[in-house]
Amino acid sequence: MSTHPHLRAYIAGLFIPSLVLPVMLFGGFLVRSMLQDPFPFERGLIFPLAFVPLLWGLWNLLWLCTHERTRLPISLHGALLPLLLLPMGTCVATWLGILSLGNTGATWFHNVFVPYAWIAPCYCAAIVGYYLIWKYVVGFLNRVLGIA
Amino acid sequence: MKERDEERITKLLQSALPPVSADAEPGRDLWPALLRRLDAKTVAVPWFDWALGGALMVFLALTPSTIPLLLYYL
Repeated sequence: MSTHPHLRAYIAGLFIPSLVLPVMLFGGFLVRSMLQDPFPFERGLIFPLAFVPLLWGLWNLLWLCTHERTRLPISLHGALLPLLLLPMGTCVATWLGILSLGNTGATWFHNVFVPYAWIAPCYCAAIVGYYLIWKYVVGFLNRVLGIA
Repeated sequence: MKERDEERITKLLQSALPPVSADAEPGRDLWPALLRRLDAKTVAVPWFDWALGGALMVFLALTPSTIPLLLYYL
C-alpha cells in the first residue's frame, strides 16, 4: 500500500460521484418521463458527468499533496470545493441553456424555479453536505486506502 | 576535557537508569488486546456534525425543489 498514493487519492475522491450519478440518472429519466413538459435532462448531465468526478478526484489529490503543509482537515478542504463547483456549474448550465436568469430568480431545466433569496441557503446546504461527506466518507476511504 | 565530560555523563546516566533484566517482557501477550481494541474502534460523531446533518435534512425536507440543483452541483 505504499505505492501510487496519488492514484489512490484520486480513486477515493471519485467514489462518491460514481455512486450518486447512476441514482441521479435513473431519477432524472424517471421524473422526465412523468412530466408533461420534458426538460433537457441530457444537457444537464454534462457537468455532473464530465466535471464533477474529475474535480472530486483532483480535489482529494490536492489534499494529499498539501495537507502536511497546511494541516487543513479533510472536512474543511472538502467544504471548500463548492466554492469552485458553483461558479463552474452555473457557467456551464448557462452556456448549455439549462439555466436562465430572471428578475426574481433562476430557472433550471426550464422547470425548477429558485428565487434568488434561496441561492444563499442552497449554497450553505451544499457546503454542509460537502463538509459531512468529505469528513466521514472520503476521509474513511483515505484511511482504508492508506493515504490518511 | 570533552572526553572526560562524556565519560562522566555516561556514568551518570548508567547510574540513574536501572539495569534491564533478562525477563523484562510483559506478563501477558498484548497483541490480542490490541487487535480487540482496533476492532472495537468506532467513529464518534460529535454533536456539531449531528446538528449540521439534521439542519441539512430539515432544509431538504422544507425545500424539496432544491434537491435536483444540489445533485446537479454534486
